Amino acid sequence: MKQLTHILEGFGSTLQLLLRSLSYIGTLPRQRGRFIEQCYLIGYTTLPIVAILSFFIGSVLALQAGYSMQNFGAKQFIGSLVGLSMARELGPVMVAILLAGRVGSAITAELASMKVYQEIDALVTMNIPPARILVLPRLAAVLVMVPVLAIIADLVGWFGGAIVTKYVSFISIEPEAYFSVLRRYMKFKDVLNGLIKAEVFGFGVVLVCCNIGLNTRGGPREIGAAVTRAVVVSLILILVLDYFVTKALL
Amino acid sequence: MNNPQQTARVGLFFLLGLALTWVTFETLSGGKVFKDKGYNLIAGFESLKELKEGDEVRMAGVKIGTVEKTRLAGRRAEAVLRIDNTIRIASDATASIVMAGLIGTNYIGIDLGSEKAPPLQPGAEIHTRVTPDLNTIMTEIGSLGQKLEGALSSFGTTLNGDGKGGGLFQKLDKLVSDNSERVSTTMTNLQEITGKLNRGEGTIGKLINDPSLHDQLVAAIAEFKATASQAQAFVADAQGIVAQVKSGKGTIGALLYDDTAGNDLKATVANLRSVSDKLAKGEGTLGKLINDDTLYNTAQGTLKKADRALDGMNDAGPITAVGIVANSLF
Repeated sequence: MKQLTHILEGFGSTLQLLLRSLSYIGTLPRQRGRFIEQCYLIGYTTLPIVAILSFFIGSVLALQAGYSMQNFGAKQFIGSLVGLSMARELGPVMVAILLAGRVGSAITAELASMKVYQEIDALVTMNIPPARILVLPRLAAVLVMVPVLAIIADLVGWFGGAIVTKYVSFISIEPEAYFSVLRRYMKFKDVLNGLIKAEVFGFGVVLVCCNIGLNTRGGPREIGAAVTRAVVVSLILILVLDYFVTKALL
Repeated sequence: MNNPQQTARVGLFFLLGLALTWVTFETLSGGKVFKDKGYNLIAGFESLKELKEGDEVRMAGVKIGTVEKTRLAGRRAEAVLRIDNTIRIASDATASIVMAGLIGTNYIGIDLGSEKAPPLQPGAEIHTRVTPDLNTIMTEIGSLGQKLEGALSSFGTTLNGDGKGGGLFQKLDKLVSDNSERVSTTMTNLQEITGKLNRGEGTIGKLINDPSLHDQLVAAIAEFKATASQAQAFVADAQGIVAQVKSGKGTIGALLYDDTAGNDLKATVANLRSVSDKLAKGEGTLGKLINDDTLYNTAQGTLKKADRALDGMNDAGPITAVGIVANSLF
């Protein structure tokens, strides 16, 4: 019962934080500096790890697909399989998980320490709502940066698959054929689908992490606990949201 | 706060994202940058089956374009084909939907058409032909399977019976078990017969095994041939005789073909008839002898008298013989 109350409390406070942040949306142009900084942290610094991970996910996907499909002569469809899997599912989910691990944990740690060391209280005392200067720029930045990360993840994943299909001896499909099949069986709608998913996941992850950080109570030890909880809740949220968003977008 | 370098990086990153999204959109949705150059043709079908936009158009197996659009046009489905500018399609060429694989990959196959036919103009409609798809083939195979199953089950009923009467196997089994003794006897007899044949016993056995019989047969045939040649000679002789007879030579010839002999014969026959008539009427000595009983009775009386005289002589015979013997003794 206590657990359920905690979950419901978490939902409620997250929703309240969202509404409070949105109420300050008019102040966003004045917070350009904070917005750019968050964009840099969320987008630019996350790019290398997203690129590396996507490349290998695309490669492994092509490798596994080639290994499985060679048994019934469907190797030439690897391009469409890798393309659709990356664009519709793996790209957005991997970006969101990396965001939770790298950006979400950082946000929670920062806000939790601010809360523990009473910086947040000081802001409130100065009549500066934390939702306005700490949450809104992050939400705006994630909305702008996640699609960019997702499209890069998709393309890098496709190229990873193309390289594997060309150079692995038991697959050996030319990149032209790989991309021809990928183009034939994919529509931009599939990619857009993935971008929307990534947007929803990223937004959810940042919101949850901000909320957990701002609601930290206790001493410095609680900062670590808050970060752990933020990452776990983000991962669960991503996978639960994944099902429903996918179902809604089909 | 943030430095200009950071801002520039974020801006560049965002622009990169926009550019990549645009390129992906153009590539996947056939934007103008990558749009296939060429001209359109319309292909109308009853059903486009699994044909999708972006599927290939091939002529004799070579890709010459793509399916640009699929649409419903009244009571039929139309595929708009984008054909490469360098390719000319003859006006009598025929398009059909061809299955490239079992997992629903199709393309439009166009045959070469005749060489002299004028090429189709952009926007023209190409002739189409319906080809059976996998579903039709599967349905036919299914009905064939049902027929086969029916035939096999009736065959099975014939062999194994339908529960009421026994099947062929049961009947055969019963026949064999009921007549096992007879069959066994028959087999023994057959074995015995074949044994005899093998040993050269009996007529057929000798016929099979004895070479002398063969020689005899050959000799008999040779004799038969000789007889046949003799018969041939005989027939030739007979033909010669008949020819002689026909030409009126010899007695028979004269008899058949000479009128004098015929007349003589007629006179002789007439004489014979008059003699027989007299005999029948009892005229003359012979006639009386045949027809008159008096002579018979007289002859019978005479014979009786003679018989009695002989009997008298027989009775006196022994006495006379004794007298003669006595006389000679004394």
